[in-house]
Order: sequence, then C-alpha cells, then structure tokens
Amino acid sequence: MDLAPDAGEDVSRREFLLRLGLTTALIAGTGLAARKLWQPKHFVPGFEKEVGLQLRSYAPEVSKVLPSLAIAHGTEHEKTIRAAMDALGGMGRFIKKGDIVMIKPNVAFDRPPALAATTHPDALRAVAKLVREAGAAKVMIADNPINSPTGCFLKSGLTAVASEMNLDLMYPEASSFAPLQLEGEILKHWTFFHEPFKTATKVIGLAPCKDHNLCHASMTTKNWYGLLGGRRNQFHQHIHSIVSDFALMMKPTLVILDGMNVLMSNGPTGGRLSDVKPMNTIVAGTDMVAVDSYGYSHLLERDIAELTYLHKAQERGLGNLNWEQTLHKEVTV
Amino acid sequence: MANAKPPRTGNRKEFIRTQVPMAEYAAGAIILLLLAGIGIAIAIKGRHFNPDLYTVRTDSLSGTATAVEGKSGTVRETVAAPVAATTAPAADSTAETASASSTPAAAEAPAAAGGDEGGAEGSSAAPKPTPPGEPMEITLPGIKPMSPTEFYNSDNLYEKIDGRAPAYQGFNVVALRSRSFTVDAAAGSYVEVDEYRFDSPVDAFGMYALERDPKGGPLDFVPDGYSGEMGYFFRQGTVYVQVIASDQKPETLAVTKAIAENRAKVLPVDDQGLAGRRRLPAAGMIAGTVAYVADNAQGQSGLKDVFQAKYQAGTAQLPFFIMVGTPEETAKAWQSFQDFCGRFGKAEGLPDVNGGKIFRAQVFGKWKVVYQRAGELGGVFDAADGDQARTFVEKYLRGEIK
Amino acid sequence: MKNLLKLRNVRRVAQVFFFSLFLFFVFVTDLRYLKGYPVSLFLELDPLVAFATAITTHTVYMGLMWSVLLILPTLLFGRIFCNWICPYGILHHVTGWLLGKRRAEERERIEANRYKNLYSLKYVILIAMIAAAIGLSLHGGTLQIGWLDPICLFHRSMSTVVMPALNLLLPGSVYVRQYFHVGAWIIGFMLLFLVGMNVIIPRFFCRVLCPLGAFLGTLSSVALWRIDRDPHKCVDCDLCLKSCEGASDPHTQLRKSECFVCFNCIEDCPEDALSFKFLPALKREVTAPMVPARRALLGSLVGLGFFAFGRTSGASDRNYDKKVIRPPGSVEEKDFLDRCIKCDQCIRTCPTNVLQPALMESGLEGIWTPILNMKIGFCEVNCTLCGQVCPTGAIQRVTIEEKTGTGPFVEEGPIKLGTAFYDYGRCLPWSMETPCVVCEEVCPVSPKAIYSREVTIIKRDGNPITLRRPYVDPALCIGCGICEHECPVTDEAAIRVSAVGETRSKDRRLLMDGGDVSSVRDLEKRQR
Repeated sequence: MDLAPDAGEDVSRREFLLRLGLTTALIAGTGLAARKLWQPKHFVPGFEKEVGLQLRSYAPEVSKVLPSLAIAHGTEHEKTIRAAMDALGGMGRFIKKGDIVMIKPNVAFDRPPALAATTHPDALRAVAKLVREAGAAKVMIADNPINSPTGCFLKSGLTAVASEMNLDLMYPEASSFAPLQLEGEILKHWTFFHEPFKTATKVIGLAPCKDHNLCHASMTTKNWYGLLGGRRNQFHQHIHSIVSDFALMMKPTLVILDGMNVLMSNGPTGGRLSDVKPMNTIVAGTDMVAVDSYGYSHLLERDIAELTYLHKAQERGLGNLNWEQTLHKEVTV
Repeated sequence: MANAKPPRTGNRKEFIRTQVPMAEYAAGAIILLLLAGIGIAIAIKGRHFNPDLYTVRTDSLSGTATAVEGKSGTVRETVAAPVAATTAPAADSTAETASASSTPAAAEAPAAAGGDEGGAEGSSAAPKPTPPGEPMEITLPGIKPMSPTEFYNSDNLYEKIDGRAPAYQGFNVVALRSRSFTVDAAAGSYVEVDEYRFDSPVDAFGMYALERDPKGGPLDFVPDGYSGEMGYFFRQGTVYVQVIASDQKPETLAVTKAIAENRAKVLPVDDQGLAGRRRLPAAGMIAGTVAYVADNAQGQSGLKDVFQAKYQAGTAQLPFFIMVGTPEETAKAWQSFQDFCGRFGKAEGLPDVNGGKIFRAQVFGKWKVVYQRAGELGGVFDAADGDQARTFVEKYLRGEIK
Repeated sequence: MKNLLKLRNVRRVAQVFFFSLFLFFVFVTDLRYLKGYPVSLFLELDPLVAFATAITTHTVYMGLMWSVLLILPTLLFGRIFCNWICPYGILHHVTGWLLGKRRAEERERIEANRYKNLYSLKYVILIAMIAAAIGLSLHGGTLQIGWLDPICLFHRSMSTVVMPALNLLLPGSVYVRQYFHVGAWIIGFMLLFLVGMNVIIPRFFCRVLCPLGAFLGTLSSVALWRIDRDPHKCVDCDLCLKSCEGASDPHTQLRKSECFVCFNCIEDCPEDALSFKFLPALKREVTAPMVPARRALLGSLVGLGFFAFGRTSGASDRNYDKKVIRPPGSVEEKDFLDRCIKCDQCIRTCPTNVLQPALMESGLEGIWTPILNMKIGFCEVNCTLCGQVCPTGAIQRVTIEEKTGTGPFVEEGPIKLGTAFYDYGRCLPWSMETPCVVCEEVCPVSPKAIYSREVTIIKRDGNPITLRRPYVDPALCIGCGICEHECPVTDEAAIRVSAVGETRSKDRRLLMDGGDVSSVRDLEKRQR
C-alpha cells in the first residue's frame, strides 16, 4: 500500500522478495515459537505431582540350605569377617565375577577410627579384599556425611583405604543426586544419592554398631540414611518411621555389622575412648532387621523392646526381628 | 532537486497538508473502528468473570464436614507440681517436709519414661463429660438420696474440688463418684459421700496419707483411716472414701459413721503393694506422718515403693522407712546404699541382729542406720543421734517394736 | 471532519484512548471494581516481558500470548507501539509538549530532535538485561527487565506512589484506608526525574533508556513499511525534525529502529516529500540500530555480573531472609526471580496493603519484588487477587480452593506462606500477667493453629489470675499473619510470621509430612 506517489529508485524484484520473505519468516517464527512455549494453565507451586526413580532390589536368592545370618567372634577384623562370610557360604555366594559392587560405609562424622563412630578402615579393607577375590570388576564406596565429606572420608581413614585398594570413592556432588519415589510411611519423595546406583549390580552395607541419642542405635538399617540428601534434619520428627522406611527403600545384597569395637554411649558421634567397648564380633546377613536385632541385644546389650524402628520394620514385613528363628550360624575364630 | 526554493526559517504558520491519499483515510477509519472494538471488547470482558474468584462456593466446604480429632482449643490439663520433682528425692534432710512434695514427684516418674514421638503430657481434649456409671446406692435405714450421683473423671475433677485436683491427678486418680444423702432424723442435715477411685491401692493410700489430718482418731473398721470432727476418711482397696457431715448434730454424726462403716464393708479389700505399709510398726508412730515414696527415696535408685513414718523416741523424732522387695533387690540396694554413704560420709558395718545385716553411716551431719533382712530393707534416716538410731533399729529387728 | 482521519490525528485519538485505558485499568485494580477487567493487559501485550520470561522460564505464561498481537504489527510497521499505545511513552510525549519549548524557536526544536549517539544506550541496557536473563546457560538467569521496562515502571509508579499520593490529597478517592508502601519515595523521585528530563531532552526515557523501545527497534529492522523521504521533492529545510518524536533523522536516512511512526514529519513537511511507504529503497534508511560493539560487550558483562554476583550473594539460597514471605501462589524463590517483572500489580490489588516492594531482603535481584509485611497488613484467607493480576506467573493464578485446601484440594491441604513463632518475652499472658489471646481469636483456620493452655499464677500483687497462654501448632499454621497484625504489641509483635514452612519451596519446609501423623488422622494423607 503506497501512501504517496512513487518517487526515487525502485526496489529490485529480488530484494523485494528477500525482504518480504524475511519478515514473513520472522512473523511465522515468532508465532510458532510462542505457541510451542505457551503455558495456558497455572499450577500450584509446591504441590506438583512428583516423580522419581525407584531402586531395584539387590537381594540375593533366598537359600533354604545356607544360613542367612552369621555371627563370628574374633580379635582381628579380617579374620573375623572372613569367618563370618565363610559361615554364610563364602563371599562368592553373593558376588560373582564381573560384578560392580557398591559398599556403603558409615562415614557420617569426621572421627578417627578408634572412636568407633564410623566404619573401621580395617573392616572396609577386609570386605573390599573379599569382594575382589570373588571377582568384582569394580568396587565403589559412597556416603553423604553430615559433616563435610572430604574431611569425613579422610579422618576416618577410608580415603587411605580407597587409594590403597583402588576403590572408586564417590563424593556427594550436587549432580550425583536425583529424586527417589517410595511408598514409605513418611518417606515418599526425597532426593537420593543416585550416582553409584546407576552402575552398581550388588550393594553391601558395612556399618559400625553404635548407640544413638535419638533412635537408640545406629546399625545396618540406619546406615542407609547416608544415601539421602536435602534437609535431613526434618527426619528427627519421625525418626523411627523413617528408619523403618529405609528397610523398604534398600534391599541390599548383604549387610555387615562391625561389632569389633562398639560405641556404647554418647552416640552417634561419640568422642571418648571410654564410650567404646571391644565386643569382637562381626555379624553378617541378608536381613538387616535380623542383624540389627542381634546387634542391639547382644552387642549393645539392651532390651530389644526399645528399638521401635525394628518393630515397625517387622510389622511392615520388611525383616525378621527374631534372628534366632532364622537359619543362622555362630563361629569363633 | 527540481525546485530551487530558498530554505525557510523563523516562526510561521503551520503548514497543513491538503493532498491526502484515499488509502490513508481508509487506514485511519479502520484504525478508529479497531479502537472502538477494543473498547467494547474490554467492557464486555469486564462484565463476564468467574464469581469463584471473589466468593467461596459452599460446596467447596464439603471436605470440612467432619471434625478433626486431637486438636483441642484450650488445653486445661494441669501438670502435677513439677517444682517438687527436682528437690524431693535428693537428700535425706528434706524427707520430712517432702512427704507432701515427694509423692507427686514419684507419681510423675513413670509418666516421664522414654517415648519418642509420644507427647507424655497426657493432654486430652477439652474435658469430656464423664459417661455416667453405677449410681451410688446405700441401703441403710434413716437416709435418702438427696441428689443424683455425680461422676467425674481425672480431667474435670477440678470442677468438683477445684485447686485440690492437681494433687489427686498426681496420684493417678481415675474417677470420683459423689452423692449426698439427707438424714431423716435431722431435718436439713445431710451427709456427702465422696468415693475417689485410683489406679492402685498404693496410689489411693498415697493421696489419703497426703490429706491425713494428724489430729484424727483411729478407726476400728478399717486399717487405713481416721475420724475427723465432721467426718470419716479412709482407704479401702483402690478407693479413698470421704464421708462428711453437714453439721455436728449427734443424729447426723451417727448416720455419718454408719455410712462410713457401710462403705468400708461394701468396697472390696485390696492391699496390693502395701506390704511395706503393713510392716511399719504402730508403736511410737507419730500420727499423720506416714508417707509413700514410689522411687528414688533418699536419692537411691534402688529404693522403690518405700513407706516411711516418724516415731517418737524420747524427746526426739526418728524417721523410719521400710521397703519390701525380693531378697536380691533388697540386698543389692542395701549394698549400694552403704557404698554411697561411704563415698559421701563415714559408713561402718554393724554386727548382724536377728538375721538382719546393718550398717550405720553419718552423711552431711545426719545419721542413718539401715538394715536388710530377707526381702525387707529399712531403717532410721536423718537422725541427729546415731546411737539412738541404732538402738531403735536393733529393737525393731528383735521384734521389740511392733 | 476529514482531518480526523489523517493518520496523525488518528494517532492522537489512539493516544488518548490507550492512556485512558491504562488509567482505567490502574484505578479498577481494586477488589470493589475489578470484576473481569483484564487489568494487566498492557503488561501482557508487552513483548519484552514475554520474550525475557521465555528466556528465563522456557515458557510463555498464559496471557503473555497477547504480545504476539504486538510483535506482528511491529515486524510490519515498525515502532508504532511507542507513540500509539505505550502509556509511558504517551506520558513523556505529553509532558515534553507541556514542559518543552512549545513556542520556542523553530531552530531549537529542530536541534533537539536530531539523533544523538547517547540514544544507543538503550540497546546496551537491553543487551545487559538479556544477558542477565540468559545467565550462565544451564543454571538459567535472572529477570531484571522490570527496572526500566516502561509498562512495569509505570505500573509500579502508579501502584506505590501516584495512587497513594492521590489518596493523600483526596482521602477516600482511591483506598478506603490510606495505603503505604515501603521505599515509595525512591520510586517517586525516579518517576519525577524521568518525566522531568523531558525538559532537557524530549522523550528522554524513550530515546535513551527504554529497553522495550530497544527491543522493538531491533524488530523494526525488518519492517516492511516505513517513513520515506522523496529526495526529488526535499529542499533540506529540516522542518521534518521540528516535531520528530523518535529522533530518527527523517531529513536524511531514516533510522528505522528509532522512528516512532508518529506521522508528525509527514504533516510538517511543506514540500509533501515524506510518505509512509511499502518496501522503499534500502539506501535511504539506516536499517539496524547502531550500537558500538565495545559498549554492547560491556553491557552483556554487566548483565551477566548482575546475575552471577546477585546469586552468589546467597540471598535466594540458604541465607534467605525470614522476612521474604511471598504472596500465596508464588513459585519457588529462584523461579520467582526468573518471573517477577516488578510491576507491582499484586501490590496494587492487595486488599489489605500487606504486599510491599522489597528492598534488599531478597538480595539485589529482588528489589521491588513483593513481600508481605504483617505490621501493615495480613493475607486475607479467601483472597487470591494477587495471582489473578500477575502477568508472568511469578504468582500463579491459583483459585481460592487451591489456596485454602478445600473442595477437590482437601487432601493436599492449604498453601502455607510461612509459620508464626512466638516471642514469649513480649507476649502479654506469658510475661506480663495480662490476659489476651487476640491471636487465637483471629486465627482463621479450623482447627485453629493457635491453641492455649490455661494456667493459674500468682501475680505480683499476690492475687491469683487464670491466664490462657497461647502456642502455635506448626502443622496447621498457614502463615497468613493476621495474628501478627492484630497483636496488641504493635512495635514488634509477640507473634511473628517467618518464611520457614512455606509450601512453595521444598528447602524451606519446617515439618515433614505436615506434622504429627498419628494423632491427626484426617490430615494423614498430606504429603509435605
């Protein structure tokens, strides 16, 4: 549409078409882009339906012949752990050649090993050795401590073991976490240390046996707390329900309770040698509830009736408190 | 340029364009119509809106039809004297004065036992009305019920006895059944009968002992009871009974006594847990000094379910306590008590008397002589004179004080 | 009559129309009058808002689709928005005409409208703002167009300064009770300054600072129509510059990105040498905006810095200020800073004056974003007006049912803004032997989030008194703040709402699972 008599040079046909085309393309592009990005409906922030990953089970086949719980008494970590595993049928029952094994230690605090607040380096070394002997292709260790991660791994002596045994030490970086979905009592959707589980084929929990000021004891069931991220300080409002949720969240191949030195009081952080008592026992098994039940009654020497989260787990069918009724074996080195 | 007009400067009249192409007029008209259309559209849009933006629909509230449990508005429970808890079981010297304060502390201890999320305060909803129980019927000649039976539970007990309620709650009172009866023989007179039911005979005893009037006279129809100026007060089984006359006319008092005897006969006997009480010798006991300490008596964790009373010995008053338990318990408690005294004062073992092992100790200036014998642990504590205390205990062990 | 249909006069009609429409919208943004009027229409039409939020959120929120209606004509005709529609532009046009040299020497007017290099500053500002929006790729950016976008600025000035000032002069004309806004004086003086600068440079804001103008100017580069000068008729008298609004040099090569299509030059030319032409020759125009490359780079660095330095100051992460209580329906804080254009429409419409422009509470990025100040007001439970007027979805358009957790949302429960906490040293029944519990009385939820325990104490004078001492139940508290507002200790209330426990943010939840699961059966299903 011209609003004035034509004057000046004409525009060539080619230029005309180019310019017309360009503008038209831009118009079309804007319209399409806007349409594609359009969000026509509002949402309610904080109430969005959440989705998350679900962990698979790493549990071994149930055996009617071999024991599912082994108790070994001894004075040295490696010998006792070996004895316990042999009683279960050997590490080879659980780990096959080529497995990628994730060992979950308890490295929650930056304490030296003598204070029995973290997984003992000798225990980790022994388990890693056994796992390697059974043919594992790769061994990872990972934990999301309460204190700062680098300090915890270092002062508990596990960094040294990791480099000595060539273990893959995974620190809890921001990108290592992904949301987890669970039909728990309290735990339904929470951020989870997913990185090691992307490749792991077997999972072993290796926990010390500790008193805990809030939930009475931290053993193999509570150990999985270290796989969660986010603001875990809210857990203390429902601690027993949440710990029993861990038994639902994680179905490990094997759990090992290190009762060689037990933190009897002032847990979970400890701090005095007088809090530690040598009980010289290793408990290994496929049922974390049974293992913990032995640990609480025989290693911490307390009344199992107190340990609410184990009873909750038992009621929910997530394990068997009555370890004596399961197929078990007790040996002394 | 074709024209060579000189440039114009300075202010002059505005130049008005007269040659306007048709297309411009058309465009102008279209735009004006567009503006009008926008205005109309906005006006229409303004009138049509979703009323839910501004008002709440009633059917939105359908989810609120059911009430929410466990979220009461005003919580009226009162916690039993928490201050006493810190002072009572501590030292012997406070034992006399603590006979009133130690007992609520003792009752509090079980409530404070470990529990995770469970709030141990026992707060319930705003006091629920007690569902009526069995009306109090007393078959005796000469009385008639004056009013229907009143029922109270632990929460609304204050409505009947006001400031006394906390003390009763400290002893785990369960219910109160109260009724008044007119006296045929005395017009205008009546007798009120209050039966406080507790959760155990020991608790009933504890409350009874707390309110015991030292001036009361003994009763012959019930072991734990006394008579006052205008009434009878006693414990039978788990019930602490108060039978109170409205005046002191002889007819009224006679009826009051008859009612008291009736209740003592009707209510079941139950002395469980009161073994220690029974063993306290009656001779020389100063009336109204019997007390019950549930645990941590004299600061000792091993001393539980202790009954104690004061005895007259010459001019002095000797506090004496007894605990009944298993032989292992009492032996262990006795030994640890001796060790404790040895740490904080001077303790010496005395020769056995009649099967009882005895030690004597002086701690913080006061003497105690403690024995243990076949499941019974007891002794004199907080005495000024160590020899007097020893004599009393040895006499008791020999059965000379009953 | 025919004069009316000349495009310059049609433009004047359009200016009156749109400016009146804008004022109408501002006035009607009040619970009493709002009804269904699309009061945020100008913001939704604003293409820079849609474009920038598309960068930060990867979505075009609801009504922002309207901006396509403005982008299309701009791509065809150029910056018609700036002189025909933009209310801020119209304001500057009118004040420039009023305060400027209307009867001044023609020569002075012509000189004032020549293009200056200073006018490239708005492009640098735009680049800085886009750079801030892009941020550092994966982590997104921050939305800071609200500082200088004309519609946002004008709405903000109206909401926080002009309307309250009008109400001060004519009480009752705007509000039932006078409204106050924290830091309004800054915004007020900024408005005065920008409007006043028209005395020195006509259309100062539009030519020098306006990032929307810069954006539209960039789009105008491909416009198919523009003002064209016939060199055969032109006598170089420069009279076309006399009333040129955009300073687009119509007397030589027209700067397409600066021309406001006001048609003044067409009317002023005595030789009738100017016309509005379709696809005229390229060599008679300056097609693209002239922005010096170094300044553009500097601008983008400043923008990136704004984002990076603002975020790393931590105010939107762990070190969040407890006073940053956002309106109901707000998205999570980092997303909020990606969406809020600081238009303060929410502040205008809030019926209790509780919404206030923040200063540094939410860090550098949060200046002039809305936060609740319970000393001044509180959040009315059955009100969602702020979300209705928010054009970008910083406050989502939640319904009353979604906000209060009723109707189909009973299982999810209500939106919580925060949690109230007692300061017992200031509370009358707790520390001053005086009965009160106004807080419990006004708590709007059922069962109430404030309950009390009855206690009898002996007063200083020896007499006993039975008092009800209040407590908060954090599982039920929705953070509305009416307790803080009504507390008689008015200097600093004995119960104060703090941002923790807000449902919009996963990080700032106080209680897991909504509280005590075991004793509140019907709240059991809440997933918090």
